[in-house]
Amino acid sequence: MTNFLQFTIFGVMLGAGYAIAATGLVVTYTTSGVFNFAQGAVGMIAAFGYWELVSAHNQPTWAALIIVLIVGASISGAFVERILMRRLHGASAERPVMVTLGLMVILTGVATVVWSPTVQRTVNPQINGQFRLVGINIQDQYVLIIGVAIAVAIGLRLLFYSTRTGYALRAVVDDPELLGMSGVSPNRMSQYGWILGFFMAALSGVLLAPTQTTGISIESFTLLVVSGYAAAIVGRLRNIPVTFAAAIAIGLAENYILNYVEPHLSSDLARDVDTALPMLFLFAALVTLPSVRLRAVGRLTSLRAPRVAGGAESLIGGVVFLVIAVILGVVYSNTEVKGTTLLTLGGMIMCLGIVGLSLVLVTGYSGQVSLCQFSFMGIGAFIMGKVAGGGSVLGLLLATAICAAVGALIALPTIRLSDLYLALATFAFADAVAQGFFNDGRIYGSGGLSINRISVAGVSFNGDTAEFLLVTVFFVLSAWLVLAIRRSLFGRRLVAVNDSPAAYATVGLNIGFTKVAVFAIGAAMAGLAGALYGTVQGVVGTTDFDIFPGIIFVLFVTIWGIRTVSGAFLAAVTYVVLNQVWPSSVGIFAGLGVILIGRAANGLLGIEFLHFRLPWVKRTTGLADQAAPPSFGGLALEGEASRAAG
Amino acid sequence: MPQADVVDQPSTEGGVDVLTIEGVAVRFGGVAALSDANLTVKAGTVTGLIGPNGAGKTTLFNVISGLQTPDRGSVHLYDTDITKMKPHRRARLGLARTFQRLELFGTLSAGENVQVGLESSVKWWQWRHMKRAFPWVKSGVPVVDGVPVGEPTGPGSIAVVTSDRLLDGVGLGGLGAEQASAMPTGLARMVELARALAMAPKVLLLDEPGSGLDDAESQALGELLCTLAQGGMGVLLVEHDMELVMRICDYIYVLDFGDIISSGTPDEIRKDPVVQAAYLGTVEVDPEGGVVGHFGDEVAVERTIDPTTEALPTEGEAVEG
Repeated sequence: MTNFLQFTIFGVMLGAGYAIAATGLVVTYTTSGVFNFAQGAVGMIAAFGYWELVSAHNQPTWAALIIVLIVGASISGAFVERILMRRLHGASAERPVMVTLGLMVILTGVATVVWSPTVQRTVNPQINGQFRLVGINIQDQYVLIIGVAIAVAIGLRLLFYSTRTGYALRAVVDDPELLGMSGVSPNRMSQYGWILGFFMAALSGVLLAPTQTTGISIESFTLLVVSGYAAAIVGRLRNIPVTFAAAIAIGLAENYILNYVEPHLSSDLARDVDTALPMLFLFAALVTLPSVRLRAVGRLTSLRAPRVAGGAESLIGGVVFLVIAVILGVVYSNTEVKGTTLLTLGGMIMCLGIVGLSLVLVTGYSGQVSLCQFSFMGIGAFIMGKVAGGGSVLGLLLATAICAAVGALIALPTIRLSDLYLALATFAFADAVAQGFFNDGRIYGSGGLSINRISVAGVSFNGDTAEFLLVTVFFVLSAWLVLAIRRSLFGRRLVAVNDSPAAYATVGLNIGFTKVAVFAIGAAMAGLAGALYGTVQGVVGTTDFDIFPGIIFVLFVTIWGIRTVSGAFLAAVTYVVLNQVWPSSVGIFAGLGVILIGRAANGLLGIEFLHFRLPWVKRTTGLADQAAPPSFGGLALEGEASRAAG
Repeated sequence: MPQADVVDQPSTEGGVDVLTIEGVAVRFGGVAALSDANLTVKAGTVTGLIGPNGAGKTTLFNVISGLQTPDRGSVHLYDTDITKMKPHRRARLGLARTFQRLELFGTLSAGENVQVGLESSVKWWQWRHMKRAFPWVKSGVPVVDGVPVGEPTGPGSIAVVTSDRLLDGVGLGGLGAEQASAMPTGLARMVELARALAMAPKVLLLDEPGSGLDDAESQALGELLCTLAQGGMGVLLVEHDMELVMRICDYIYVLDFGDIISSGTPDEIRKDPVVQAAYLGTVEVDPEGGVVGHFGDEVAVERTIDPTTEALPTEGEAVEG
């Protein structure tokens, strides 16, 4: 009984910490329509900043709190809204997600540079001491966290329902233009939302930091709020009381499972369950959400899509690419950079290029954000290594097929919901697979999982040059496939479902089926890429397919142009090269890049003044080039519609 | 009633009931958008649905097309109850619509927009469609009278040819390659219409198709809708251009505050004191802001516009751009 009470108190405290972060998320989302993926990273920075001031520089607690919460968090919230988010109005739907992810990797990147991960940092509680109640010891810090959470809940309630600003804050996401007409600046309201969101993220970070008895770590603290994400989702990203209650429930459930279930499991399994829990909660939350009503939003995509290469053109392009790769592969077959041969690096580029292509399909064409393509790679590599002794064609096929199935399973629970929820589901999946699966010693083994080079029908691709050419052929085929899909009927549908879901449904097309199908195809491509990646490297380790590298890669594809095949390739080049040259700063480069790209939908490759036109490519004529649009006439339809049905 | 009568002579008696709405109610929080809407569209007729802004016309369209689930009531397409059916299933049964605020596939060209509608029943995962991705596969489309037939998709196929014809039909001949989002509103509305027609619908719901069109264009639109109705289609038209509504509609329903307050032929509607009262009512509230509209050429009636919140979309100019 005493234990139970102890666990309950700790669970409520943990839940209260999540609740503060989660309600911050909800406030930002309801006032600006943006889900801040950097919420956890803001809390992490606040916790480290607080440690720096109090433990390293001996500042008093109150001063540190003011500096971190008011000066640090709130002002940066205002700046982030003003400088990063405001100019994204009217950008494609995936862009705010990318920019907040960019912010997340910058913050974690900077933190890694400033606070070396090898040092252990324990944070002193804001209130020291404990007291006894019905036979159990209760830390004052726990009471403080619970009290602050209650104060935040009451404060928000009063703000939203009893003040004029509160009404405006609630109105802003429904119809910013209408709010603007009533004399309130919708931008100002969004800014308040971001300030509050950052403030609460920092508050939860500072309060929860002392409860981490083994010290605060950058990655785990950044991902600590995934449980908070689940709570926010249960509250449908707008209901603060429900979010709050869900956060408490999740805190309790985590703590009960930790103390009552995990002791009965083997230590490996217990660790897996522990790390996979937030993701399980997130998934459960997604499944329980009621379907979102399909809305005719009347927003017309004004995006100029990049030109899609024709069938013959893409075939010729692929052959030319292959020839150049062969020449380079032969010429530089013995060159090494920092201990890695150029051929291996080239092979990695090709494999990651295939992953980039899968993103072109999934995110670029159909507008769904996937943050777990690296997880599919990891699963693909795992299957490749385990099936038929590694290096078999069967392994390649199985990796592709199983990843397609897993992809469909991830997409299924979210198709009833808006695209943001798929992004969240993939975020949770990437985290859970990285922590609970790849990190498990039994999966990849301590020295990593070794994967043989492919050998088929007596032909072995054991040599580095042969292997490089093999993966290059796979890349070229994938690129050609993606372009062929885009030109096809299915490709038109992918673009259509992204442009207007309401119109898509009302012309008789099944939105859910299309989305699951494209996501599964993308997952299959990533799985294939992972299997090939394994054969290139010969061995894959636990950190190869982590959540952060996966997100950073998505950002690089976005920077170069997520709607083009060349964008996918250049992103792979950038990623591999930067990882060789400045491995510790890759995240910062990616984050800054995506912020600088801002709303340019087609990335660097889409920026007009960088374009040059090949003399033989015909310029398409636009409406503006014609003297006058043809007049409305020639209405003899002659039953054309009924014939079209045939 | 036999369908043949309808084709030759569209009249208020019309053909079979293609669309029947009974007792539909929708509430948004405390606001009743529709309280008890009853309406019937007959094959071979153009049925008008008029009413002030905010009367519930678009909500009713959303209920019919499946974007909004009603709290009460039922929607029937012929004898099939479609009240709970998903939007895409209704569309496959022959229900097509356009939107008041444009819902085009903006990144696609006008022609491709229409093609998506034309090909909506094609199953892309079948090999005979997939193989077209390979450049060396000949289209193999037999040509009859200069029109390729047999294959529904791919270059030179029936989809491409038909989409060109549909665009011609709505006055957009030669604009098939234009990116949809780059088109002016009036033309874009016609792309939406062509896309809806591409599905060869039995019932066509049009949400203010005339806004953004000039007089000649709206005249031509009227003729097109009459032609479609003569072909046996049931057209339900929401429109603010009263001249157009009075001229082409066989039957008109008037919606106000979520209720059908009147219905009848254009003549009956013109003379209905209930309708006049509903329309004139708003003017009494604020005579300064009232705007004169016309029911046909006859009775000058004040338009039911709440001057505080709405701009006047007469002549279609207000929505342009």
